[in-house]
Amino acid sequence: MSKPLRHFIDKIKPAFDEGGRFAALQSTFEAFETFAYTPNTVTKHGSHIRDAIDMKRAMIIVVIALIPALLFGMWNIGYQHYTAYVLPVDTGTTDFFWQCFGFGLLRMLPMIAVSYIVGLTIEFAFAQIRHHEVNEGYLVTGLLIPMIMPPTVPLWQLALAVAFAVVVGKEVFGGTGMNFMNPALLARAFLFFAYPSHMSGDKVWTAAKAWGTDAVTGATPLAELKANAVNIQSMQYSLGDLFWGIMPGSCCETSTAAILVGAILLLVTGIASWRIMAGVVLGGGAIALLFNLIGLNSYMQVPFYYHYLLGGFMFGAVFMATDPVTAPQTNPGRWIYALLTGALAILLRVVNPAYPEGMMLSILLMNCFAPLIDHCVIAVNIKKRSRRATNKQ
Amino acid sequence: MDSVTKIRKGLNISIQGSSAQTIEEALDVAFYAVKPDDYVGFTPRLLVGEGNTVAAGTPLLADKKDPRMQLCSPVAGTVEAVVRGEKRHIEAVTIRSAKPQPTPTQYPDLGSASREELTATLMACGLWPMLRQRPFGTIANPHKQPKALFISCFDTAPLAPDYDFILQNRQEDFLKGLHTLQRLTDAPLHLSFSPQQHIATLSYPDRCIKHTFCGPHPAGNVGTQIAHIDPINKGDIVWTVNPQDVCVLGNFMLTGALAPWKLVAFAGPSAAHPCYYRLTCGASIESIVARQCPDPGNLRFVSGNVLSGTRIQSNGFLSAADSLISVLPEGNDYEFMGWLRPGLHKFSATRTFLSGFRSKETTNTTSHLHFDTNLHGGVRPMVFGELWERLMPFDIYPMPLLKAATVGDIDLMEQLGILELEPEDIALCEFADTSKTELQVLLRQSLELIRASQS
Repeated sequence: MSKPLRHFIDKIKPAFDEGGRFAALQSTFEAFETFAYTPNTVTKHGSHIRDAIDMKRAMIIVVIALIPALLFGMWNIGYQHYTAYVLPVDTGTTDFFWQCFGFGLLRMLPMIAVSYIVGLTIEFAFAQIRHHEVNEGYLVTGLLIPMIMPPTVPLWQLALAVAFAVVVGKEVFGGTGMNFMNPALLARAFLFFAYPSHMSGDKVWTAAKAWGTDAVTGATPLAELKANAVNIQSMQYSLGDLFWGIMPGSCCETSTAAILVGAILLLVTGIASWRIMAGVVLGGGAIALLFNLIGLNSYMQVPFYYHYLLGGFMFGAVFMATDPVTAPQTNPGRWIYALLTGALAILLRVVNPAYPEGMMLSILLMNCFAPLIDHCVIAVNIKKRSRRATNKQ
Repeated sequence: MDSVTKIRKGLNISIQGSSAQTIEEALDVAFYAVKPDDYVGFTPRLLVGEGNTVAAGTPLLADKKDPRMQLCSPVAGTVEAVVRGEKRHIEAVTIRSAKPQPTPTQYPDLGSASREELTATLMACGLWPMLRQRPFGTIANPHKQPKALFISCFDTAPLAPDYDFILQNRQEDFLKGLHTLQRLTDAPLHLSFSPQQHIATLSYPDRCIKHTFCGPHPAGNVGTQIAHIDPINKGDIVWTVNPQDVCVLGNFMLTGALAPWKLVAFAGPSAAHPCYYRLTCGASIESIVARQCPDPGNLRFVSGNVLSGTRIQSNGFLSAADSLISVLPEGNDYEFMGWLRPGLHKFSATRTFLSGFRSKETTNTTSHLHFDTNLHGGVRPMVFGELWERLMPFDIYPMPLLKAATVGDIDLMEQLGILELEPEDIALCEFADTSKTELQVLLRQSLELIRASQS
C-alpha cells in the first residue's frame, strides 16, 4: 500500500520545490512527506552510521507517555460532572463508566483540535518563512496545553493562549530548541494572568453540560487545604482518590497513577531526564518535611506524600520540568534546577497566600534561572581546568 | 604495575562482520595513493609530475610551511595522476606500482644517530608525519618537545581491528618502534591496554608506562586515555601514534629500508568473509572489493571505523593511520512511517525502539540489528544534551561546548576544553544525536579556527 503513495509523492514533489507552483507550501509538503516516509538522506562524513532515533521518534514517545493521563483525564472530567450535577447516580456500572468517558472525550477533543490547529498553523507559517523544516516539538506542546487547562476554559481563550505561547514563547527566539520557557506552561500562565476568573477559584474545575456555564462549586483539594478549611483527615478525598486522581482539577493532571505510567515509559526509553524527575520529587519532599517540622498551621502539617498527589506537582515533575530545552544543559545543573523547582513549588503552595498551586510558576521561574545555573556549573568547570593548567607549571 | 581505569560513559556498537583472525596475502594491488588531507595542517606543494618514475621513499609532496616535512611514495612505480578537487586542491597523488617491485634502497644505519639526524631522516623518508600532535591533531612539530607520548594499543570502535592479533604478529617491529620513539623525545611514553591483552605482558622499554582501561567505546580512543592519564592543558603538547604505525617505524629501523606495510582488517556486514590483509600503506582497495563484495554498487566504503573514518570509493585508497576498511550498505531508501515502527532491527543508544530490549550481542555472522548509512531523520536544533553526557567520558560539558562552537566563540571553547578533543572523541555524540548535526565537522572547523587564530 505504500508503493503507490511513494509514487504519488515523487510525482507531485517538483511542484513544491523552489520555483514550483506551490513553492510557498514547501515546508508543509516536506512535513507531510517526512511524516509518511523517513527520508532517504544518507550521511556524508563523520559518523557514517546514525542512531535510529530522530526528533519525530523522541516526540512520539512523549505523546505516548501522555496517553494514560489523557484517557484518565477524559473519564475524570465526566465523572466530576455527573457526580456534581446529576446526583445521585449509580457510579458502579460499566454504562456509567462509558458515559463519563464520553462526556470527557467530547470536552477534550475540541480543546485538542483547537490547540493543534492554531499552534500548527503558526508553526508551519514560521517554518515556511524561515525555509526550515517543520519541527516536531509542537506535537507534544499541542497536547500538553489542553491537558493542563481547567475543563471549563473557553475555546477562544485556549486559542489565544496557544498563539501567545507559540509566537512569544517559542518562535520569536527561533523555534523549538531556542526557547527558554516551557511553551505549554506559558500558555497556562498567560490565561492565569489575563483571565484569572476563568483559570482559578472554585468554579472552573467541574465541567457543566454547556461550555462556558460554570455554576457548580467544586473546590480542588488544594484550594480546600489552602483555605485551612479542612485538615487532611477530614478532607472528602481519601489518599486513594488522590492517587488515582478522582478529584476536580485541571483536565488531565489529577491522576498520579496515570502520570507514573507515563513516567516509567519516559525513564525506560531514556527520553526524559531521571535526574530532573528525581530532583523535583526530592526537593518538594524535603521542603514539605521541613514544613511538617515547623507545623504552624494545618496546611503545614500535611504529610509530604500528599503534596505529590495534589495539584499539578507530578504532572509538572514528569512532563514539564523535564523539557530538555528549557531545563539546564549540564547534569549538575539539572540536579540543582530540579531540587529548587520541587522546593519552590511546595513553598509557593504552603506559604504564598494568593495562589493555591505553585508548580506552574516555580517551573517557569526556574526555566528563567536555568541559564544562570548552567553558567555557574560551567564556571566551576572552567575554573577547574584553568587551575589544572596553572598547577602544572 | 598499573591499576585498571574503568570508563563508565560510552556505548559499544556491535555490528555484524568483524574480521576473522586470518591474514590473506598476495593481493595484486596496482595503485597506491598519498592523500595530503589525511594530515591536518599540511599544505601540499607538488614535487613530482605525472609520469615521473618514483622509488619507495621518493618525496611526492612537501609542506609549504616547512619544506622538510614530506610525504613520500610507499612503493616504486610511476606517478599515475595528481587528483585535484575544488580550487585545484590536491586530493591525492596516485602511483602505479612497478612490477615486480625493485629491492628498496638501504638507508644508512641509524643505530647510533643523534636525535637530530634521526628526526631529519624520518622527515625525509615520510615517516615522521605518523606522529600526531594534540591539540589540533596536526603532524607533530619536530622543534617542540611534547610533555608526553600516548599510544592506545586497543580499539573499541565498531568493527575495530584486534590490535592484540596485529601486534602479536609484529612484536619485534613494535618494540623496535617504541625504542625509536624514545630516542625522539625524553617525555614519558604511555601505553594503554585493555584487560587480558596478551601484548601487555611483553617486556617494554624502561620509560614506557603501562595503563589498563576497561569499559565501553570510547575507552580505546587515545583522547579518552589522555584525559584520564594526563589531560592536555592550554599550552601543552602531547604526541599520539597509532600502534601499527609504531610497527611501520620499527620495521624501517630493523630492516633499514622503507617498505611500509600494515595488517588491515576488512570488515562490515557487506563483506563476504571479513579478514585481515597485508597491505602496503596507501593501497587501493579495488582488488579486495572485487573479492569481497560481488555487488559494490550501493555500498559505503570507509577507511577507518564507521564512526569517524573517511569515506572512500570502491576503488579508493587506505588512509594514513588506518588499519581498517569498513563496508556497509548505503541507506538511500525511504521507509514508510519509519518514526512509528516498533524497530526490532534498529539500533539506538536510547530504548525508544523494541531492539533496545533485546540482547545487544552480535555474532560474527548473524545479528538482528541492521546498520546502514541512512541519517534516520531530518536536521533539527540541538535538544537532547543529556544523552551526549552519557557518551562522553571527559570532564567536559558537550552541549555548552558545541553551542560555543556553533557561534565560533574561541575563548569560551578553549575554556570549555575543546583543546582536549579531536573529532573522533565526539563521534558517539554525533552518532546518537537526534538533531542529526555533523558534530565532528563542527569540531574540526572550530579547532582549525582556533589554530588559525594562534598562528
